[in-house]
Amino acid sequence: MSNALVPMNANEARTGDHGELIQLVSFSLDNEEYGVDVLKVREIIRMPSITRVPNTPHYVEGVINLRGKVIPIINMRRRFGLIEVEYDKQTRIMVMDVEGELMGFIVDAVSEVIRISSSEIQPSPAVVTSGIDQECIAGVINQAERLLVLLDLQKMFSQDERQLFGNL
Amino acid sequence: MPIDCEDQELLEGFLAETTELLEKLDDDLIALEKASDDPELMNRIFRSIHTVKGASSFLGFDLLVRVTHKTEDVLNRLRKGELQLTSEIMDVVLEATDLVKTLVADIKGGEIVDREIDETINKLIPLLTEQPAAPTPSPAQPVADAPATAAPDAAPTTSETTPPQAEEKTAPEAAPAAAMPPAAPRPAPEAAKKPAPPKGGEKGGDDLSDNTTVRVDVKRLDDLMNQVGELVLERNRMIQLNQDLQGGTSDHILFSEEFGKLAKRMSFVTSELQMQVLKMRMIPVEKVFKKFPRIVRSLARDLGKEVDLQIFGEETELDRSVVDEIGDPLIHLIRNAMDHGLETPDERMAAGKPRTGTLVLAAVHEGNSIIISIKDDGRGIDTERVGRKAIEKGLITEDQLAAMSQREMFDLIFLPGFSTKDKASDLSGRGVGMDVVKTNIKKLNGLIEIKSEKGMGSEFILRLPLTLAIIQSLLVEVEGEIYSIPLASVLETLRVDQREFHVIGGQEVLKLRDMVLPLVRLEQVFNVRRCHDQDNFCYIVVIGSADKRVGLVVTRLVGQQEVAIKSLGKYLANVTGIAGSTILGDGRVALIVDPVGMVDGGEGASGGR
Repeated sequence: MSNALVPMNANEARTGDHGELIQLVSFSLDNEEYGVDVLKVREIIRMPSITRVPNTPHYVEGVINLRGKVIPIINMRRRFGLIEVEYDKQTRIMVMDVEGELMGFIVDAVSEVIRISSSEIQPSPAVVTSGIDQECIAGVINQAERLLVLLDLQKMFSQDERQLFGNL
Repeated sequence: MPIDCEDQELLEGFLAETTELLEKLDDDLIALEKASDDPELMNRIFRSIHTVKGASSFLGFDLLVRVTHKTEDVLNRLRKGELQLTSEIMDVVLEATDLVKTLVADIKGGEIVDREIDETINKLIPLLTEQPAAPTPSPAQPVADAPATAAPDAAPTTSETTPPQAEEKTAPEAAPAAAMPPAAPRPAPEAAKKPAPPKGGEKGGDDLSDNTTVRVDVKRLDDLMNQVGELVLERNRMIQLNQDLQGGTSDHILFSEEFGKLAKRMSFVTSELQMQVLKMRMIPVEKVFKKFPRIVRSLARDLGKEVDLQIFGEETELDRSVVDEIGDPLIHLIRNAMDHGLETPDERMAAGKPRTGTLVLAAVHEGNSIIISIKDDGRGIDTERVGRKAIEKGLITEDQLAAMSQREMFDLIFLPGFSTKDKASDLSGRGVGMDVVKTNIKKLNGLIEIKSEKGMGSEFILRLPLTLAIIQSLLVEVEGEIYSIPLASVLETLRVDQREFHVIGGQEVLKLRDMVLPLVRLEQVFNVRRCHDQDNFCYIVVIGSADKRVGLVVTRLVGQQEVAIKSLGKYLANVTGIAGSTILGDGRVALIVDPVGMVDGGEGASGGR
């Protein structure tokens, strides 16, 4: 089972009040805030020049040269079916480790690293209104002022790969 | 039991040496079977096993000592002529070598496994006493052996060996029936055991071939050091130039002049360096080839066929990474040739061919690639039968078959799931082998070509790149995007007026000299957004794989460049028409066009999304 982004699953989270402390990188996408496990994030970079790769799913933006290594770049807005916007000064690529391979994800902005107790993670509500596939959501964190959606990218990609191979 | 060896260096030395000796040993043993009277060869074999024994007893590997000791004794008797080499004896000796390999592999793995070695040793022991008598454990054939058993008790002394040996020599001619008993007790248990040990042996052999360390000629290393020295000097020069410019001691004109010179020297040094490193990575293809005599021998015995394996060009060098990858496909091809290609001796006689089939394995350099061919003089590929089977298995339809050229029919055998056998055997019939060949060769950017004539034999020709890391490529521009085409598959480039294009059945073609060239517009295959105004003139890059030709329509030719291949990673591994990527001088990524994919299909153009 993948536990890319949360060290424990949502059901366990409800049982204990004092779960272990985890750190998340939070980023925004269409005015919503999301979080991923900090240990999976290799680096955060500005937009370099991206080479388009033909005959790939539409949300694959292309590939970049990351210090001599060629890595694929995924446009998160497109992946989640959100409205596309122009890249601006805030746009970042989060380079993450997905099943042992590096991949970059384009997000609107990266804000901070937050620490939460894993007991604060709640299971996602049954109906999610945004366009994000439900299975990639590992849980929701409801803090005083903010609502953070925890993503499980590993899940997103095992599903994507199936689609990709289905096309070929 | 972990290995208790104080001196790690000593142990490593032992492993490296033993591995090398054992690799050669297999080869020599097979050769010995053909030329059993070659004293030089015999001595070499004896020496190798003796060295292994000596070293292992020094290091205290008891199991290894026991096996090698007995093997050595048997070899010693063969060497002195006390024993006549038969294929049964050879089987036992080979089995013993396999066991030695397994034991050495255990040591290499860092853990001594308590293996069952007595069985093999027990097979060796009878060979130490007199040959014609299957000695003490002979109750099975007491009657047949009766006359011979008298001799062996006194046997071990050299002086008395002559009579029984003479008997052995005369026996087969005089009374084949009487000669059988000594052989009989051994083959029986062995036949039963056969499938297991060779596999273990093969595996052990593979484990032994060391991929983690390289032996390099000291001279090559010295050359390398010189090159690196020069590189360091040029780097210093570069830093100096930069400082001069920043500090104002040099103006732009002087700087650009000096920098131009520097760039030239740098490019010279790096290409030299690249050559050196490439050379160091090169190893003779012999490393793979030398496994084959052994495999062919055991296959021939299993299949009841007579085969003469001829190997040419084993000194041909190619990149390590390629050598590591071609082993499996070659084994499949050899199996295929032995199982499907060559006929049994009787069939061959009936067809008016010599009893013994010939299998030729040859390697040769051709430009920037290496060509390996596996040729047999067997029955050849029966295209009709292949076609029928493919339809039966539902791999193609009747209509498809009708439209196929002979070449395309040959290619059917590479389809996954294809097999002409109705029943799968140990050896073949699952329809996996040739598919493995095809995929592995494709992975190496290689090509396979089949030549076959029914009744005369077939030839599989593999064309592989010398190295996987760096290739010569032609950079082209397609509506603003840069793509790289491997130069090895580029036949020619031309500039043409688009008005000369013709359309046949929806396919754009160009009349080029006396042939009709199908065209593929890269901008369509790759869905490139058009950014230039329509220009009547465009460039065509003619690429070819095997005997197919296709013209790629591009906007502009950028130039020829040596590029380092970078993988696109697991996630984008199967993109249609793209073989990989590379990084250009300005740091951007350019995609490498997959020429085989382009040539093989219009389906490449429509597929994908």
